Parts: sequence; structure tokens; C-alpha cells
Amino acid sequence: MIAPSGEQMAIDSYRFLDFASRQVMKAWAARQESGVIPFTPLAKPLSECALALLSTAGVARNDDLPFDQEGERRNPWWGDPSFRAIPLGTTEKDVRLYHMHIDPRFGESDLDVVLPMRRLTELSREGFVGPPAPTHYSVMGYILDPTELVEKTAPAIAERMHAERVDAAALVPA
Amino acid sequence: MGLVQRVLEASGIPTVTLSLIPDLTRAVGVPRIAGISYPFGRPLGRLHDADGQRAVLRAMLELLPSASGPDTYVELPFTWPESPAQARNASKDLPPPPIVELLKRKPWLLAALYSGRIPQSES
Repeated sequence: MIAPSGEQMAIDSYRFLDFASRQVMKAWAARQESGVIPFTPLAKPLSECALALLSTAGVARNDDLPFDQEGERRNPWWGDPSFRAIPLGTTEKDVRLYHMHIDPRFGESDLDVVLPMRRLTELSREGFVGPPAPTHYSVMGYILDPTELVEKTAPAIAERMHAERVDAAALVPA
Repeated sequence: MGLVQRVLEASGIPTVTLSLIPDLTRAVGVPRIAGISYPFGRPLGRLHDADGQRAVLRAMLELLPSASGPDTYVELPFTWPESPAQARNASKDLPPPPIVELLKRKPWLLAALYSGRIPQSES
């Protein structure tokens, strides 16, 4: 939904983007049709919910396959639509960020700015949420054709979350 | 991101997303969304600012129990401490992504990006 013309959106991170990217994203927003939006109510109190995180920063562990940057260089219309599992306890020392449309150095200096596993663990210790899931996830957010992301990657992530008895998921853009 | 969120939610997992560009995310149509005016690459906040990052995470997670239906949207009251120009300057030395290089060489292809009719190969 776009704010009616003349109305200033309170949240406007577009101002952190260059002009061309702004215009492209606004054109995409104007074309979306949301249809029926799924909704699953929380089944138990948040303080008992096992939480999993998903980042679009293109985070991959150093002992895992990187996201395919070479493929994107060969065909800049393409972005790697696969996902990586990030076990709880993984830190910035163990990963790299493979998203070429953001500055990877922020997440590589402090992984919690894109995938806040330590912050989630702290909130769990406070009793605000239940235990963090053993596995968290990342995709790489530059995907212009979302077919494989929606048909293969997202269902595979959902399946793993269900297998680990995740009660809720928090998604973080990059 | 919104599309992935919809698949997870439809599979029976309640979800909430943080969003830097909530008008685009809401246009896709998601169950719970918290908008924040932070720069790209640092959605949770400043490096090594554990208190600030925890406050953002806590605020977005609060939507999980509080939302009563789809498209529940809150605007988080956090303010980035630098101007947009300062935030962008931190990444000035990065090479542009491949699509930007391509559009510099073939600017007419911008129409494809703008329209969403995405070519199958480079040109």
C-alpha cells in the first residue's frame, strides 16, 4: 500500500538510498497485489515460543558454500535464490556476507546488526521469549525473479523450522 | 522477503518482519511488519550497540502476540543518529553491484528493471 500522494510516510528509509534505487523500488511497490494475506496466530505466550531468525543479508558460514556471486556477475539480472543454515552460536568470525547490494562490512564486524542471535539469546534469558531455535537462516536479498525462492527455498526453510519445532520466526531485511 | 514470510506463515509458523521500506513490504502483503528508518546493511542498529539492537528486536517481536490479523503494521520509534548522507558515505568505497555496472553500459535496460519484466540473460 502506498501512502496517498502528499502524505509523508513516517518511516522512510528510502532516504538512505540513491535516487535511481528509490524510483525502482517505488515502481515495484505500486505494481504489487497482495491478495489474501496468510495469518497464523501465536499458539502460546511469547515467553514460551522457540524463535528462529531469517536474514536477507546473504550470510554464509566459512565452512559452507558461498552464495553464488560469480553467477550474478555473469548475469546481473540473476541472484542466488538458495538459503544457508546458520547454527546458533555462529559469530562474525565464522561467516561472510555475499550480498553485493549492501555493505557487507557491517554484518562482518557485528553479525547481530543483520542476524541478531546474541540479542535473541539475551531476550530469552530475560524471559521475554522462549529458547532460540538451534538453527537460523539466511537468503541473499537481491532476487528479481522470485520463482525458485518462493517455490523451493522458502518451503525448505519452513520444513526445517517445523522439524526443529520452531514456534515463530522473525525476519530481518538487509 | 515478504514473499518468504508469506510462505512461512501459510505453513503454520507465525512470523514478523522488520522492514526498511514498509510501503514495498506491505504492498507484497505480510501478516506482521515493523517499519524502521535505519540504513540498509544495519537494520538492527549501530555496530556493537547491544542495548540498541536488543530494543529493536524486542519491539519487532512484540508484534507476534499483539497482532490480531494480517497486515498489522507498527512504525518503530527509533531514529538513526546520522544523516542519510553520512550513513551512505560509510559505504562510498564499495564497488557498485553488477546490475548498476550493466545499466551504466546499457542505460536503456533500466526500463526492464523499472517495469519488472526481467530478462533471462545479461542483455
